[in-house]
Amino acid sequence: MMVSKVLVLDDTRSQFDSLKTFCEECGLVGIRPQSGDESSVMAILESNVDLGGILLYENFGGETGGGMGLARKIHDARPELPMFLRRDSLTSVVGLSEKDAAMFRCAYTQADLQQLRATLDASIFNRLYPTDLVRGITEMTRTSLDTLFPNCDIDVETPYLVKDRIIYGEVFTLIAIDSNWCRGYMMLQAAEEEVMGLIRRGSGSEGEAMTFRELNNVLGEATNMVWGSFKNRYVGQNGSGNDLMQTQVPIIINHHRCYISFGSEDPQLCLKYTLRERNRPGAVPAPIFQRFVFNLNWSPEDFMENPSVESFVNSGELEMF
Amino acid sequence: MAQVLVVDDSSTVRNEVGNFLAANGLTVAFAVDGRDGLEKMKADPSIKLAMCDVNMPNMDGLTMAEKIRGDLKNGAVNIIMLTTENSPAMKDRGKAAGIKGWIVKPFNGTAVISSIKKLVS
Repeated sequence: MMVSKVLVLDDTRSQFDSLKTFCEECGLVGIRPQSGDESSVMAILESNVDLGGILLYENFGGETGGGMGLARKIHDARPELPMFLRRDSLTSVVGLSEKDAAMFRCAYTQADLQQLRATLDASIFNRLYPTDLVRGITEMTRTSLDTLFPNCDIDVETPYLVKDRIIYGEVFTLIAIDSNWCRGYMMLQAAEEEVMGLIRRGSGSEGEAMTFRELNNVLGEATNMVWGSFKNRYVGQNGSGNDLMQTQVPIIINHHRCYISFGSEDPQLCLKYTLRERNRPGAVPAPIFQRFVFNLNWSPEDFMENPSVESFVNSGELEMF
Repeated sequence: MAQVLVVDDSSTVRNEVGNFLAANGLTVAFAVDGRDGLEKMKADPSIKLAMCDVNMPNMDGLTMAEKIRGDLKNGAVNIIMLTTENSPAMKDRGKAAGIKGWIVKPFNGTAVISSIKKLVS
């Protein structure tokens, strides 16, 4: 069963057991802050960037409506996280301002958790990932990591669903997955120093200088291996025996070092656009850099513009059919 | 209850188009992708016009248009695509799905508002 981590902001002791049981039944892994003060809650939010949602009691912190201030702060910081509001007696957001009500996917009471269950299913558990797919992904990734980190044992936790869009660590790889039944991306995200330490010690070169680029190579190769295994196992071929999934190369980003690599050493075409506010001639202009990285194919001898049927309609205008 | 449904995964576009339409007296609902658009269509029978992007996650705009006609059996709502796409093949697919018109971004509200109001009335 797929699970999801939720931050539980409910300090009503009498509800703890029933809430725990409910979470177990729904596949929710509850994380509760040590104390109910705002800074503790925000700290736990900062250290958990892979949450599925938040269960919040309206009167959290002991004051009537005390949870709402916290809800606003959380919503400002993490608007992607669905929030579910427990109220003492109301199963709707009546009485809340329109802005406050809009923060919550539903309101529920402890007496009626079915509404919460239905909303959780719609908000977090609304995509089915086939068990065989998840199992297969886990196996192929473990195999890849085993190969690249022979000095390590690899543990894998129960797969879980995440609504957060926060990146973990400083370095991540990105590769497109494009088949006839699924299209999207895979990422590997890691903390630079932790993984560099493993590589250094695994290669017996502890003490030697190592740059983040070596880490790029290892993570890039891990991404490549998983992608290849995924393609071999789950992507079909067309009638001519050709792969339905085209060549892809991992993109490697280290945002701590403001670094991005597409795997190619060819020069990138770069254009700089400078935006100057007309009404503020003394203001600092804002540059936007555009880069084209044709790392997968570059055949300028085949360059051409599409022949256009003369159109009497300019962009922005409505062409009626 | 809304007259126009704006379907685009870009909040910038939803805000721009929605604010313009509202300023011109139209009531507007929003959807973030084709799947959401279908749900909003099902939930609000008062929608007379859907303005949709093509390239969106989860379900693209042309598939949404086809499903409005097919799965929802709604042949009454007018559909206009508002998109960066301009290929004849895409327009042909849209015509086959019974869409009424095509606007290539950027949106020029002034140029299209009278046509939009006719499609809504």
